[in-house]
Amino acid sequence: MMPPPLLEARRLAYAYVGGTAALTGLDLTIARGERLAVLGPNGAGKTTFLLHLNGTLRPAGGQILLDGRPARYDRASLAAWRRRVGLVLQDPDDQLFAPTVAEDVSFGPLNLGLSDDETRVRVEDALKAMGMDALAGRPPHMLSFGQKKRAAIAGAVAMRPELLVLDEPTAGLDAAGAAALLTVLEGLHAAGTTLVFATHDVDFAWAWADTVALFEGGTVTVQGKAETVLADRAMLGRANMPLPLLAELGMAAGGRLPRRRAEAVDLFRAMAGRDG
Amino acid sequence: MASIDRLAQTSPWRTLPLAEKALLALGLLLLALVLPPWPGGAIVLAVAAATAIGLAGIPAAQWLAIFAAPFGFVLTGAATLALGWDSGGFRFLPDGAVAALAMVLRSAAAVSSLLLLSLTTPATDFVRGAQRLGLPPELAETALATYGFLFILQDTATAMHASQAARLGYDGPGRALRSLGGLAAALLPRAFERARRLETGLAARGFDGRLRVLAAARTISPIRVSAILATLASVAGTGLWAAWR
Ligand SMILES: Nc1ncnc2c1ncn2[C@@H]1O[C@H](COP(=O)(O)OP(=O)(O)OP(=O)(O)O)[C@@H](O)[C@H]1O
Ligand SMILES: [Mg+2]
Repeated sequence: MMPPPLLEARRLAYAYVGGTAALTGLDLTIARGERLAVLGPNGAGKTTFLLHLNGTLRPAGGQILLDGRPARYDRASLAAWRRRVGLVLQDPDDQLFAPTVAEDVSFGPLNLGLSDDETRVRVEDALKAMGMDALAGRPPHMLSFGQKKRAAIAGAVAMRPELLVLDEPTAGLDAAGAAALLTVLEGLHAAGTTLVFATHDVDFAWAWADTVALFEGGTVTVQGKAETVLADRAMLGRANMPLPLLAELGMAAGGRLPRRRAEAVDLFRAMAGRDG
Repeated sequence: MASIDRLAQTSPWRTLPLAEKALLALGLLLLALVLPPWPGGAIVLAVAAATAIGLAGIPAAQWLAIFAAPFGFVLTGAATLALGWDSGGFRFLPDGAVAALAMVLRSAAAVSSLLLLSLTTPATDFVRGAQRLGLPPELAETALATYGFLFILQDTATAMHASQAARLGYDGPGRALRSLGGLAAALLPRAFERARRLETGLAARGFDGRLRVLAAARTISPIRVSAILATLASVAGTGLWAAWR
């Protein structure tokens, strides 16, 4: 028998106070070790869904299954759940609270019950990975938006969760920051971490996701392999999203679709050589 | 407040143990109060200012600007000592002038000593220090969280103000009043919403009611403490010797 997926949402429904129906019967599966991109227009329910993945929001209908078992929302279960699932919010100001970046990053590891020494190592590793080690002693209110974002991500990475959930991780990061983030995510993925991220960025999803879920109006319209879903012009068009640039260029060139920039460059160089 | 905080956060002395900085600053403060104002006060003032600007990296212009505010009050106070008032109008009092000068020197020395501490130590370090001296952790954490929160609110208010101004919201007193009212009204629910989301963020990292963080370890250095004590002793010695000579 197949082992149950790491996490599963079944017929998930949620409405905010005031009546906005944010999720309307949403089904989605998160397999162990995969990189899942949650794509969709503004207001599609991405953030609302992600907040269900660590029990922050409790569904009004349907349920979350963890390892095939219905999630429970008592204090102890939530604590155990959040040891396994890390969450990075869309706005870093919602996450940073401590007087300095390093202290903020130490918050999660200490809550895991780690020793001071072990926490210090985790903090250093996480900050270094995010390229924030030089700013470790800075107070968060003296950082740029992208730096805050990196600090917030470091705070979740330092907990080394089994599943890391990131809401719009690349929004507001410069090219170097985004590249650093991707390197960190690669490392986490290689170490076995399951990654779920919400994004508007089809190019980012094309380059990095194994699986893609398209959100619209509070449901998942399709979940499937990134190379299939994101190469389907009609399906993306219904969600008002463009094809990823590299996919479109690859189609125009009439060959294999390059997933990474470097692959695309090689491809076009080879074509130019053939013609010239 | 913001500029003092900014200076303190970026001062190279920020990472020194609070106890060392407090020893130096409070030691100088004590000397400012007990030494004869001339030349003791002047020496304390010179040492405190030179240390802040030369060693602790506070830009001289900023130091002067921050020093000027309390110093203004001191000068006004001194004027009341040096000037008398009778039927002939204002009159200069020679005895009063000496007393006024002594007061100015003493106060300036005291202010500069305290600035040495407050311009090199972020408010959050003071709270941590108070916690080590027995302030309950719940109170300390609330103070620290509120402090951080103030900056976010200030940023929000600044950004909202700029955006209102960009849309001509401050064109004329009537509009300015209305815009300001709108800003204040928007800030409160925004603060609540922000607090709620902050709790979500904390809960995601295992918040259980205690805001545990790992503060950087700052070990007290015997060398620096000796240097501080030597400085205080030589200021005291010079001050006393010069006054009794
Ligand atoms: N705090 C709230 N109160 C009421 N309604 C909300 C709240 N937050 C979101 N909504 C509504 O719920 C729906 C889903 O919002 P959600 O934030 O999940 O979208 P999203 O896909 O993350 O959008 P974005 O791309 O803009 O981040 C939207 O219609 C939104 O207006
Ligand atoms: Mg969102």
